[in-house]
This record gives sequence, C-alpha cells and structure tokens, in this order.
Amino acid sequence: MDIYQFISDHLYFNRPDIEIKGEPYNSAILMSLLTGLIKGKELIIGEPGLGKTTSAEFVCSLIYQFPLGVIWGSEVSGHPEQTEEKIIGRPDLGKLNRGEEDVVWTNFSQLPVKIVDEINRLPETKQSMILDGVDRGNWEYLNEMIINDEYCLFATANYQDGGTNTIIAPLVDRFDVIVESRYPGANLSFLIGKAQGKDKILRHRKFEKDLYRILKSKIAYEKKIPKLEEVCNAFGEYIDKTLGVKPLRREDRDQIRMEMDEIEMDLDASAFVRMFLAELSFCDRYGQKRIVENCEEGCHYTGYLCHQIKNCASNRLPTSIKQFAKGLAWFFGDSEIDIEHVKAVMPFTLSHRIQWKDEVLTQKERAKRDDPFQIFLAKEAVKTVSQRYREQSDHLKDALGLGSRIYQGESLEPLDGDHPIYIEIKKDIRHRRIR
Amino acid sequence: MQNVSPKKKTSSPPRQGFGLLYNPFEEFKTFQVTKTEIPLDRIVQSTEQVMDQIRLGYEKLLEEEAKELVWMVQYNTIIKAYEVAEKYIREIDYSAEDIEDFCFALENTHRIPYLIPGPAGIYISALCNYAKEEELVLKLSELKTEINLIGFRLPKGKRLKVEGDTGDFTGIGLEGGELEVEGNAKNWTGAGMRSGRILVKKNIGLHTGEWMMGGEIYVGGRVRGLGNIVEGKVYERDKLVYPGKARYPNLYY
Repeated sequence: MDIYQFISDHLYFNRPDIEIKGEPYNSAILMSLLTGLIKGKELIIGEPGLGKTTSAEFVCSLIYQFPLGVIWGSEVSGHPEQTEEKIIGRPDLGKLNRGEEDVVWTNFSQLPVKIVDEINRLPETKQSMILDGVDRGNWEYLNEMIINDEYCLFATANYQDGGTNTIIAPLVDRFDVIVESRYPGANLSFLIGKAQGKDKILRHRKFEKDLYRILKSKIAYEKKIPKLEEVCNAFGEYIDKTLGVKPLRREDRDQIRMEMDEIEMDLDASAFVRMFLAELSFCDRYGQKRIVENCEEGCHYTGYLCHQIKNCASNRLPTSIKQFAKGLAWFFGDSEIDIEHVKAVMPFTLSHRIQWKDEVLTQKERAKRDDPFQIFLAKEAVKTVSQRYREQSDHLKDALGLGSRIYQGESLEPLDGDHPIYIEIKKDIRHRRIR
Repeated sequence: MQNVSPKKKTSSPPRQGFGLLYNPFEEFKTFQVTKTEIPLDRIVQSTEQVMDQIRLGYEKLLEEEAKELVWMVQYNTIIKAYEVAEKYIREIDYSAEDIEDFCFALENTHRIPYLIPGPAGIYISALCNYAKEEELVLKLSELKTEINLIGFRLPKGKRLKVEGDTGDFTGIGLEGGELEVEGNAKNWTGAGMRSGRILVKKNIGLHTGEWMMGGEIYVGGRVRGLGNIVEGKVYERDKLVYPGKARYPNLYY
C-alpha cells in the first residue's frame, strides 16, 4: 500500500520488526494504518521521543486527509489537571449569559481521528471520563450528545515513571492493539536528526484555517461532517499533487471497509483462534478463568496457557483479532483470512489483555528478547499454541465439524481430545441438547 | 453509522427454539478431513492387524483352556494348551517384533484382559517356536508378572534370549534350542528337556532339570536345588554340579 511505503520512506524512519508472509514490516506503522482503516483503537508505548505521537499523527493525516495542524489542535494530552471541559466540551458561555444552555464541543470529540497523548498521565479517576467515548464514539456533556459515525483512537503511553498512573483495566481492554514505537537504531536516529521539516509537508495553513472555522461554527455536528469532508478532499488532492501519495477519501475508506467485511476466516484460522481463546478462558475446576481464583494443585491442564495467566479473555479480544486480521488480509490482497494473518496480529491484540502469573513473569523476565516484555510474552504464547494447533489441527477441525452436526440434531458423540477446546465444544453441545 | 465491530455474517437462517440464533460451529458444517497417508501409517496399520490376530489367538486359548481363569499345570494341560496355541498361531504371519509387542501389551494395554502366567508362557513359546526368525529376544524386564513356561519345546536351530526374569517351568521340554535368561529363573527349569542348552545368568530355583533327558543347563549364580535328572549336565558358575559329586535332589546347598 502506497501510504505505508510513503510513511516508511519519508516520515517515520524505523526498522522492520515483524515478518508477515515473508515480507518485513514495521509493526508501529502497520498496526497504526490498520487501526485507522478499521476504525480501531491503538495504544502506542515506548520511550519518550521515539515517535509515538508523531507516527499516529502521520497515519491519521494520510488516512483521514486532515492537515497536521488540525490534528495537533484536536489532541488531548494526559496530565493530572485535565478536565472534562478540555476533553469533551464546555458550556457555551455566550448563550449561558442569555440563559440558554448549549455545548461547545472540543475538536477532539468532533474529529474522527482522536489522539490522546500520554494517556497514563491521566489519573485513574479521569480515565473513566473517556471510557464511553472511546468505546462507542458517544460524547456526552450536559444533556447533549454527539456520536462519531467514523472514528479511530490512538493513545500513547510512556513506560512507568514518577508521573505515570496505571491505565485502568476497562480502558486497557478497549484498546484493540498495543504496539511499541521503537528506537530506530543509531544510524536512522542520526538521519532523523538531520531531516528537519517532515512535519511541514503534511501541513496547509489555508485548509487548516478552513477546518478550524467549520469546527468552531455553531451549526449542528451532523451538518459539519460533509463540510469538513469537502475541505479534507481538497487537502487530499493537494497532498496527491505535491507528494505523490493519495490520501483516502471517505468513499475510499467506506469501500475498503466494505471489502474487508467480505473477507471471511478460513477454517484453520477460525479453529486456531478458538483453540487460543479456550486456553485463555478455560478452567476445569471453576468453569472459567477468574482473576480471584487460583489454579488447583495438580490440575490436568497445567501445560496450557490457562495455568500461566490470572484473568479471563474478554469478548473484545476475538473482535479485535478478527478486525485486525481482516484488515491485514485486505492489506495483502488475500481473499480469506488465513492462520498467518491471525498469528501476525494476535500478539498485538492480546499482550495488554493478559495478566500473567508472577511465577511466569519471574521465569521469563531475563529471557533474551527484542520486544517489550508484554509483547514478547504474547508472541511466545502465540508460538506455543500454534505448535499445539499444528499437532492436532485435523482432529480439532473434525471435532468442530462433528460439533456442528450434533448441533444440527444428528445423534453423534463429540470427539475427545487433550485440550480445553474439546471440553468447550462438549459444553456447547450439552447446552444444545438440554434445550 | 457503521459499527466499530461489525458482527461476522452467518449464512445460516435463525434457528427457532434455541437460545443461540446460530450454530457456533456453522463454518465447520461441511468439513471433511482428507487424511494424507504416510508410509508409517501403513506400517502401523499392518502391525495393528497382526497384533489383533495374536491377541485373538491368546483370548481363544484362555477361553478354551483357562475356563474361569484357572489353569493347572499338568502334563496333559500343557500339551493341550500348546496344541490350541499352535492351531491359532499357524495362521498368523508375524515377526519377532510382534512377539515383543505382544509381551509388552500383556501388561500395558487394556485390550488384553488377563495375564495368566501359564497360558501366556505357552502362547509366547509357541509364537517363538513358529517364528520365521532363528534368533529372538523377549524383553520381559518391564513386566511385573514373571511368565511361566517360557521356552517350552524350543526347537533345534532357535535361539531365544530373555531380558528379565522368568517364572516356573522355564525351558521345559526343550528340543535342541538355546535359551538364555538374563535374570533369574524359578523352579522346575529345564524339566523334561531332551536336548539343547539353557543359560540362566543369575540364580535358579528348585527341581532344576527334573526328569531331563539330555542337554545342558548353565547357571551364572546359585542353583537352589536339583531335580531327579535322568541324563544331561548342569553347571553352576562354570562348575559341573551334575553329573558329578553325588548331590541329593532338592537339598539346599
């Protein structure tokens, strides 16, 4: 895709850190692009000054055709004194003087691209302010609400230091993926120092002013959107002419999403995801994983992931996996989501959602690695389950096939197997029979 | 407004009467495993078939000769059981490895219901005697039960090596074969043997060589007691103990 190449060649210098289907990619750019395309939510972590916010800004600018000046003006920065008025909206003081109640919405709540800088500097209590908006695109203030039809969210977070807080679990779970914006290496870093003015190429003062004017205007939010798009299209054409890369118009994005929606998972990908989810949620003793319950001593399923983790996988996890795998399949021009797509996106979708047991962390923290610890552990987990899947893929697909036939009323016995997924299949079938 | 997380489309119509609107395994509805056969599969399959036949022969032997799971060792019961075993074994095309597998399966699989040391030994002996190979090795060291009657009627030209201990009546009625036991053998070893050689590397029990008509018995450890020997030789740690200095049968020495 041209936009990936353009960002990689001209805007965000970094080394490839993942290989998908034999091709090297930089995970920060790739995942950010997919986040923008699928209307997802991404948490970018990394050391200060390594391009977390900048990478998100470049991607947003090219996917949504907004000049950088407008994106900067809509960013929310995380700090302890942050308020709802600065994030979502404030009372229209002029109207309030006249005894009327109206809301002046912030640029952050109005724009489809949302960047929260240093989200973990927001105190835990204030993080809940953006939960709903992050989840559904609903922004409420006083008795008014605006709903973003199309939006994506990028949040950046530094590693823990004196000024950071923990990101609350419900907010973390809402992020589809987590990526690290890594140090590009001494040589590329040296080049970045030399290459000034990268920011300027995605700016246009006139379009920025036009967009600000529309955002500030008192017309209804729904009426602002087409006007914003008009200016964005003009900016897109300007970028195409001057830089030779074509940003995506609203119609393009809709078309892409429609094409993505038509891409289905193949059987291997589906069976693999089911197997993975079973390991992340299964507990033979207590019915399912719960953070408040510990594994039983001598449990038969000690060798599976369920024994290494504390919490249960949320329902948002499979959604994120499917969405990002779809996006990746589309990106590669593939007609189906295969197991390679799934394996590529999985570590980024689950690393922030898994809470590993202390003994696992202690055991692996010194392991030689290239990724942040959480992503490293997730990649290792994907490798392990992938190995298990290779060994029993046919048997598992058979078990699922048989499950389908039993579900449709055939009088057959479900297949046995030494993995939590077979127990899960049996549970589903038993419930079907009871009904 | 588009959903942020559109649900996956399902091709099945909504089902009535169930809580779930769709079959959670729908996409696998038509899945058929296409098994790719590798040479090992064929080997495993043919080995399984042979094992089934061997197992069936053993079960028939138990059915006919060990009714109610009781089998008394008497001259005629041994002969009769051996004839029954021969009848089934003659029809099986097996190899030395299959005998080893059978010995292992005797205790380690649920497919063989009972291990009765007498009939099991007769059956294994018959398998050895009718095997195509001249040299055979039986790994019995893993078995918790000591098998009786191993090496019964071992014919000339056959060499049978047993890893582990054997039970009573080892090598009885030997017919010229060579039997080597790496561990201990119990009582009545070599009883009624006509010719051939028995080598027991460790100790041997009472009645050794009872009514033996010929052949040699070599014992690496101690001989606990000799039987009434008619003809033949018994050595204990390379020293000839029969014939030689008069020793009374079954006197401990």
